[in-house]
Amino acid sequence: MVEPVNSSLGKMLLEEVSPVVMVLCTPLVEETFLKNGLSFVETLKPFCNFSNIDVPVRTSGDQLYRLKKFTLRLFNAADIRQPNVEVAKQRLEHVITQAGEKVFHDLESDPPQITDILSNSESEIAPTWFQYYNKELIRTLSFSDHEAFDHPVACLLVVSSKDEDPLNKFVDLFNTNRLPSLLNDGVMDPKILKHFLLVHDNQDATTERLTSKVLSEMRSTFGNNECNLLCTNSSKEGNVEHQANPWASFKSSVPAEKLGCALTGDDIGEIKELMQEFASRHIIPYMEQKVRDLNQQISATRKGLRNQIKNLWWRKGKDDIPDSTKGSIYTFSSTESQIRILGDYAFMLHDYELALSSYRLISTDYKLDKAWKHYAGVQEMMGLAYFISDQSIKEAEYCMENASSTYMKLGKSGFQNATRCGLWWAEMLKARDQYKEAASVYFRICGEEPLHAAVMLEQASYCFVLTKPAMLHKYGFHLVLSGDHYKICDQVNHAIRTYRSAISVYESTTWSHIKDHVYFHIGQWYAIVGMNDVAVRNMLRVLDCGNQSKSTQEIFLRDFFDIVKKTGMKHEVVGLRLPIISMSSLQVIYEDHRTYASQASALVEESIWQSLEDDIIPSLNSGKSNWLELQSKLLPKKYKESNVCVVGESVKLDMEFRNPLLISTSVTSVSLICELTENSDDLKLVEKETSSLSLGTEHNQVTTSGFSSFTLSEVDFTLGGGEKKLVRLTVTPSEEGILKIVGVRWELSGSIVGVHYFQSVPTKAKTNKAKRKNKLTPTDALKFLVIKSLPRLEGSVDHLPDKLYAGDLRYLVLELKNNSESPIKNLKMKISHPRFVNPESHEEELTPGFPDCLKKGPEQNTVQRETSRTSVFAFPKDVSLQGDRSLRWPLWLRAAIPGTISLYFTIYYEMENVSSIMKYRTLRMHYSLQVLPSLETSFEITPSPSRLQEFLVRMDIVNRANSDSFEIHQLSTVGCRWGISLLQPVDTILPSKSILPGQGLSCFFMIKDCRKPGTEEEKTTSILPSQTDIKLITQDDDEKLFDIVNSPLASFHESERSCHGTSDQLSPNTVDFILISRLAKSSNPSAEQDLPKILSHHSCHNRIRSSIPLSWSLDGPKTMYHDFSTSFCEIKLKMVIRNTSDGFLSVSINTIDGLPDAAAPTPSSGNLSGWRYVPAITEEMKLTSDVMGSRLGKPPPSMESSPPFIWSGSSSTKVQIQPLSRTEIPLQISVFSPGVYNLCSYTLTWELSEHENALSSTSSGICQGYPCYLTVLQSE
Amino acid sequence: MIVCVAVVGHQNNPLYIQSFTEAEDALKLHHIVHCSLDVIDERVNNPSKSGTTMNEAFLGLLYPALNYKVYGYLTNTKVKFIMVTSDLDVRDTDVRSFFRKFHAAYVDAVSNPFHVPGKKITSRTFSESVTNIVSSYSFN
Repeated sequence: MVEPVNSSLGKMLLEEVSPVVMVLCTPLVEETFLKNGLSFVETLKPFCNFSNIDVPVRTSGDQLYRLKKFTLRLFNAADIRQPNVEVAKQRLEHVITQAGEKVFHDLESDPPQITDILSNSESEIAPTWFQYYNKELIRTLSFSDHEAFDHPVACLLVVSSKDEDPLNKFVDLFNTNRLPSLLNDGVMDPKILKHFLLVHDNQDATTERLTSKVLSEMRSTFGNNECNLLCTNSSKEGNVEHQANPWASFKSSVPAEKLGCALTGDDIGEIKELMQEFASRHIIPYMEQKVRDLNQQISATRKGLRNQIKNLWWRKGKDDIPDSTKGSIYTFSSTESQIRILGDYAFMLHDYELALSSYRLISTDYKLDKAWKHYAGVQEMMGLAYFISDQSIKEAEYCMENASSTYMKLGKSGFQNATRCGLWWAEMLKARDQYKEAASVYFRICGEEPLHAAVMLEQASYCFVLTKPAMLHKYGFHLVLSGDHYKICDQVNHAIRTYRSAISVYESTTWSHIKDHVYFHIGQWYAIVGMNDVAVRNMLRVLDCGNQSKSTQEIFLRDFFDIVKKTGMKHEVVGLRLPIISMSSLQVIYEDHRTYASQASALVEESIWQSLEDDIIPSLNSGKSNWLELQSKLLPKKYKESNVCVVGESVKLDMEFRNPLLISTSVTSVSLICELTENSDDLKLVEKETSSLSLGTEHNQVTTSGFSSFTLSEVDFTLGGGEKKLVRLTVTPSEEGILKIVGVRWELSGSIVGVHYFQSVPTKAKTNKAKRKNKLTPTDALKFLVIKSLPRLEGSVDHLPDKLYAGDLRYLVLELKNNSESPIKNLKMKISHPRFVNPESHEEELTPGFPDCLKKGPEQNTVQRETSRTSVFAFPKDVSLQGDRSLRWPLWLRAAIPGTISLYFTIYYEMENVSSIMKYRTLRMHYSLQVLPSLETSFEITPSPSRLQEFLVRMDIVNRANSDSFEIHQLSTVGCRWGISLLQPVDTILPSKSILPGQGLSCFFMIKDCRKPGTEEEKTTSILPSQTDIKLITQDDDEKLFDIVNSPLASFHESERSCHGTSDQLSPNTVDFILISRLAKSSNPSAEQDLPKILSHHSCHNRIRSSIPLSWSLDGPKTMYHDFSTSFCEIKLKMVIRNTSDGFLSVSINTIDGLPDAAAPTPSSGNLSGWRYVPAITEEMKLTSDVMGSRLGKPPPSMESSPPFIWSGSSSTKVQIQPLSRTEIPLQISVFSPGVYNLCSYTLTWELSEHENALSSTSSGICQGYPCYLTVLQSE
Repeated sequence: MIVCVAVVGHQNNPLYIQSFTEAEDALKLHHIVHCSLDVIDERVNNPSKSGTTMNEAFLGLLYPALNYKVYGYLTNTKVKFIMVTSDLDVRDTDVRSFFRKFHAAYVDAVSNPFHVPGKKITSRTFSESVTNIVSSYSFN
């Protein structure tokens, strides 16, 4: 802590509470001194502060002490009056305005950082003009009537030697009429020390003799000691320059060099000496004397018990006097005033003990008198006396608080005094490091006047910084408050200054509400003072004000654009936050050797393409020896890893713009910022687009001009409130070199340009290199090696429907086009779903049109296609594309399975005589199809019970489509082995002709194995192709059947087969069916052209199903004629058993004689083993069969009547049958009478084992014999 | 009447601030809340001055502004609750119980697994329950 005397308050008190000297001078004196640019008082002022006057003083006590520091205050007599309130106010305002002009130039700089503020000391934080302001503020209260320290102690009468009759002038000067009113009113004591001074102007040499004469006259008239001569202006030329001009700090309006130009060093010395002498010889002794006199007088009247009581009694008597605050009740001669004068004189002579005791004495009196203003003034002085004498801190504070609150109680009149008191109090607290309390004192004296409040609040805010620890929140708050007050009284400069400091507090916080307010207002104010650049810079901070209300956002934006307009140019702002660019959404799409047919194909994941292209692009090893190595030779290493793109082909960037506001904003001219450097010397920039703050229109010209080595796309869009938009920007290089995408620029509402640089931003570049090599930095992903123009194949599949039914067969054309002049060759294509798409082997257009071309023509060409298929389709060698010619290649599409299918086509091609960097390219096409379910077929094949070569086929069809119905056209078996035939006429199978949605249908067919029994390995060619197809339509008899042997049906069937392929693919006992259907004609008359023409449904590897691993048939005559009169009839039968399984089968046949129905009920057909074909032999037989079938589960009555037969021959036979082979067993029955016999009374017991002679069987079972009717008739 | 409640994170970042006045004085209340952080810091750093409450979360009256009284509460995780009321005659026990309920609501809100600690509380449930608590206290 500083010594109280050396604290700023101490210095202030020394200056402010010091003896006043009233100066009375003639106009000629003033004239003399005005030669120096100074008035008389001003000339003397610098010499009134004595730092070491060293005068011995003895006041009340016997103790002598020495005064060290002493100050005199000189005032012209005219100034000794209470200042006019209005004038004072204007003067204060002037001080502030002046200070504001001074700070104006600092406003452009960046706001101070909070750390800087904290590290600074007090004097650096608070502006220096505060002290000046405070001094002025205190000065407005000088010469008040309730205080005595402004009472003039002495009077200096000055007359020039040029004056006529100087002696009379002296008398005239102290004429009561000319004295200040305060002295005449009796507030101040007019009997004061007088000192006479004769001024002699040395430039005026003529009066020299006169002067000495006048002086001697003066001395004789006024006394020797009271008269002095001051000779000035010794310099004849008047151009003396002073090092460290003493007047400079007192008068700043005039240039310092002019001040005192006529005064030589001797003159100054003389003035100094004069003042020193005046103070030490006259004023101090005079005051000393007066203090002693007053003290004596007061001791006599007021001290001591008797006097106290008397005084009390006397005051009581005055109680009826009304409470008066006017103060006029006390004249200078009243006892109270005398005591006050004693106190103030003692204070000025630094005898604080005496001062305190006097003040204490008087304060009770004032209190009793309810003279509150006087009371408060005394309390104030007591507080200061306590402070400066370094006594009780508590007492001092108490007194100050008391004074302050008493002044406050007086209302408006006391407020000024309260302010001064508060300033002193605050200084006192500051001196004791109680900054927080000081701040609250400043806050108390804010008052209502905004300008005053602003200054006080600002001072309070600095106190909060100086508090340990700093209270930055309050600092900011008070600065903001102060700024608002400054703004109210149009002190914009100061308002900006305070807000600027406040920014340092709020800058790094997330208190966006406050932050937006501060930035917005400071921006507005900067605009008021015309610093639009800075205004814009500050306003930019509030643009991202998504948390504000909509109306606030509108105000922000409107004002912002107004200010931007005022600047009259287009600012380019790096990091403009409206709209916000989502960097995670950034996606780079470019084409190197991989080219994309469409947007959709570019977005497909790279790995899908890679796996697809594995077979067709040159392998990595060979590739390395080819182009990669060459590239590394040709190019500097640093470019080896950059991405490659081709001249004339655009690089696309997708990014997302988001509007954080609730109001819509228009964003225009969005384009990329790129650099293209020449390949040869990479240091030289061909064009640099990243000039940091180049402004406005000319910039735009550069980007759009034709001279540019690349062209940029521009996008305009409007973002609604909170909207996000994905925007695609492109850059197309037109020269070789290194292309770098640096950033993006856009125009906001046509008035401000936002720039965003992509530095160190993670990007999802769609490049396989970036995925393979992790060391690639994101900026590398935006760097491209531009190589010279290459042919680029464009391709599309025409008329590809996006929605079709499963099984739909379409004829499509793949159109390929190469726009460049250089040819491409060696085309290869790979399709991700060979099951769906099948390229035609040659280019010709279809002659008969689709779908007729698929139908069987008159000339049957049953050329078998080679079935070995590769997934890569190589175009014929002679296909080469160039110029405008386009290649139209037919494709077959068949929607194999329902669902959403992504079809990927990749076409590989090589370029001739071009760049060594890129030898080949691929064209990638991606289409997605939606395949709807249509007819679903399932086949069940069961062996015919009676014919080993024949099988029953049950076909179940369900229409799974939602709305469309289908007609069945044709059913075919694939291959030459199986012939198919109808069991019923077509009309009975399908009475309604078409299958409605959701309808199911079962129908039966018979297929026949056309191979010769026993010779399984040989292919039978005896079957006619026509036997493999059945037409399932009745109308349109002329319509031909579809040829399933030829492409494309056959090839699609192949792929279906391989798709459904199982391990036993080659199993001969499978049947493949193709069902061809078409959309029922009436079902959907609209959308005619997109209707499917035909649909093919393939069902492969249908196995012949049965529950037992064997099938057998009992062969023998169906009808016999026998003469029973001769003998019973023996009939030879033959049982053929076929092993249909893969295992070894052992079968034992047990024939049962006797009552067949008791032993085994006749198995009903279809009950156990599925479908049995009962061959129609005769009408009669059929009838029986029907009877049998209709009485299922009941013992047939006919059986009872039928005469029995007996099995002759062995009753039990056991045979072993090899897998998939057959054996014949002879059987014999004996019949005794004519009749119809059911030869079903036998059982087959079978055991199946994996190996021959295996002990354990995997399965076994017993089969009942099935009905086989034999009619024996009596022969004629 | 409670005019404003706020939750401030341990880095003095606002997590939740809600005023309950009709007038457009959000900015003023923001400033008041922001300023009271200084007082909280002071209280926490000089526990001897506040004296009474070593282990208590309730910090008491922070400072009386012109028309308001500001109360504070500090949780164990150094999250500050600040309440501004326009009632000038308030009993400490009422404020205490208010803060206890408020704390419970806060704990519920941050226990949400989707809440990111240190980020603003956006839960609608939280603001509803705060509104309920606030409306149930009138202090008079």
